[in-house]
Amino acid sequence: MKIIVRPRITFWRVVAGVIFLSGLYSTYVRFSGGLGASTALSDRFPWGLWVGFDVLCGVALAAGGFTMSAVVYIFHIERFKPIIRPTILTAFLGYLLVIVALLFDLGKPYNIWHPLVMWNPHSVMFEVAWCVMLYTTVLALEFSPLLWERLRWEKPLKVMHALTVPLVILGVILSFLHQSSLGSLFLIVPHRLHPLWYSPLLPVFFFVSALALGCAMTIFESFLSFRAFRKRLELHLLTDLGKVIVGVLALYLTLKLQDLAGRGALRLAFEPTYEGRLFLAEMVLGTIAPMVLLLIPRVRTDDFGLFVSAVMVVLGFIMNRLNVSITGMEASSGVAYFPSWTEISVTMMIVALGFVLFGLAVKYLRVFPPEEVARPAAVELPAPAVLRRLRQGSTAVVATVGGVFLVLVLALGYSGLRLRPTRAWAAPPAAEGDLQRGLEHFTVPPDIVYQRSEASPGTVTFSHASHIDWNRPRCTVCHHQPYSLVTSVSDRSSPRKPPGDMHAEAFCGRCHNGKQAFNVKEDCATCHKGP
Amino acid sequence: MATGKKKGLLFDSTRCIGCGACYLACKERNRLPVTAEDPLADELSAVTYTVVQNRRGRFVRRLCMHCEDPTCASVCPVGALEKTPLGPVVYHPDRCIGCRYCMVACPFGVPRYEWRSRTPRVRKCDLCYDRVAAGLPTACAAVCPTGATRFGDRDELIEEARARIRAEPDRYHPHIYGLEEVGGTSVLLIADVAPENLGYRTDLSAEPLPLLTWNVLKKIPNFVLVGGVLLGGLWWITNRRIAVARAEREALGTNRQTEEGQPSDREEQV
Repeated sequence: MKIIVRPRITFWRVVAGVIFLSGLYSTYVRFSGGLGASTALSDRFPWGLWVGFDVLCGVALAAGGFTMSAVVYIFHIERFKPIIRPTILTAFLGYLLVIVALLFDLGKPYNIWHPLVMWNPHSVMFEVAWCVMLYTTVLALEFSPLLWERLRWEKPLKVMHALTVPLVILGVILSFLHQSSLGSLFLIVPHRLHPLWYSPLLPVFFFVSALALGCAMTIFESFLSFRAFRKRLELHLLTDLGKVIVGVLALYLTLKLQDLAGRGALRLAFEPTYEGRLFLAEMVLGTIAPMVLLLIPRVRTDDFGLFVSAVMVVLGFIMNRLNVSITGMEASSGVAYFPSWTEISVTMMIVALGFVLFGLAVKYLRVFPPEEVARPAAVELPAPAVLRRLRQGSTAVVATVGGVFLVLVLALGYSGLRLRPTRAWAAPPAAEGDLQRGLEHFTVPPDIVYQRSEASPGTVTFSHASHIDWNRPRCTVCHHQPYSLVTSVSDRSSPRKPPGDMHAEAFCGRCHNGKQAFNVKEDCATCHKGP
Repeated sequence: MATGKKKGLLFDSTRCIGCGACYLACKERNRLPVTAEDPLADELSAVTYTVVQNRRGRFVRRLCMHCEDPTCASVCPVGALEKTPLGPVVYHPDRCIGCRYCMVACPFGVPRYEWRSRTPRVRKCDLCYDRVAAGLPTACAAVCPTGATRFGDRDELIEEARARIRAEPDRYHPHIYGLEEVGGTSVLLIADVAPENLGYRTDLSAEPLPLLTWNVLKKIPNFVLVGGVLLGGLWWITNRRIAVARAEREALGTNRQTEEGQPSDREEQV
């Protein structure tokens, strides 16, 4: 008798199913109808959610990987070793998902390999393309030992072990280049990006904020792994990461304030504008709030407190990238952009794909140190844990401080969105021009003498001068096919052969129909004047 | 006509009567559908590379400015946009990957995209590259009945613009737009009012925009070398320090092990 194993239907599996189904439908729309059918992008707003979120944020997922591998392999701070594998996995997945997102966003995804052979070293995008290719390769190699272990292949494992340090060094350099180059992408648009975000320091800001995100994602994913797989990382390591986040955010905040003040843009943050409010919301959510929270030792040493602070850093980071790529670009483009549902569903599908792949990797490969799995503490259910912690008081601190900041962020964001002007681009009001000055230079095109056909009562000479509305000359009234302009100008031979039956509606008959002008069928001599 | 010199267009708004000949000529030369009965009502699009606009009673053209140091060509990762020696900035659709960075970066907001196509191309004026290479003026300049759009060597057009402004200072605003903006453009504009009144942005510096990114990009090779050596050195130092510490420990025996920071840390974990 066969036993059919049915997968258990859980809430998250249903959610994932819905996300994948709608994402696949959007994929069909994208590749059958093009970017126009699947996105809210336009000539005025050519980059949207797929660049702003999928690419800019996806790449930053890798920040944890290179920081941790540098800490462990180059600085030999080996106690962080248990964190290495999950961060490398996150980095690798981040880059794979960026490539998936690029296949959606590029107009010609089948040409994605072109930067390999068609070089333009002056382009930041060229640098970005090479960083994506090279660092994906490095991450794949750094990740490969997990596979060789599983397959019990000793030889590649040994080779990889020998290659670890050079690969880590290469990875750190590539990451530094790549994280900062995503900021450099916007260096060339000082005329388009709002001064709250445009800065010559953009590459520095992108790099520093990516470091904070890397640490925050490590905390975030280890908490999720605990919930999903009952695997927990050492809390004191995560607390140390919390301390690092405080340092990085302090550096970020200082640089940001210095830069804004130096450029005289600081006051813009406090003006009641769409950009100002969203900028404040971003800074409060992603920088100030987690910094304050993590400075409180009771919060920092508590996994719930760490988790909340990490989520704030992640959300603030996402907001920053969306503000640079979307909010800050809207005013200069003259249009308001909001992603279409197809863009959103593809993005959700890519994020869900990340979660699924992470889960599969944890299930089948040794991502977490094996001794962590059997810990008795891991069996503990989260709900009582929260209750117990409430008694300890740390959750109350987190809820109060975090709650105050969250309310502030929501208020700022909401007021920002309400301040967003509805900018429907309209043509400026037309006024009658002063044609006189222009007409002084007007050269009336020469008369055209048409060859006389056999049945014709006389030669016709077309006069431009008598066919021009001198109050408002417009060449476009007549100069459609067959009276094409460019060929007429280059060929002024006279007399000219009539291009067809001139009485017909396509020719003189078009206007000479008795309504707009006298009818061609009336007096032949009016036009056929010549011999 | 000296073919080796850089070509360009001089647009004189005071001579333009909004007749739309340039609009139609462009459509005809590029075999594009006519998308508006009145060219003054049309906008740049994937099938419209130039338009005439009425701005407060003055006529003004919009088209690719063909920058001397084009931002679009600088940002394109695969070199799909190219500044030709004669002046036109041309596009190679077979190279393009469709990243649309050119559209984001263009200071004049010119490039348009075939959003509905499955093999989309960037579309813009190419300054009639084939005609110019053959020694002919652009289609728009060839048909202009008032000489509002003039084709010629860029140097001569600049002289012409200066001469016109000098001869009739009351008629012209003294600024030649495109002479210095973003390092200069092949399309020059003069009018009786300042260019911002005609919808042209005047906040562009005389420095070519590509310098903004090149100043960062040119540091990369140096950075890779220095960074590699630095990181390698750091690894060697920390590695060596650990090896030395281990050797010292072995020499002293194991009784002092707990005083070392890292081994005690590791013990906590186990």
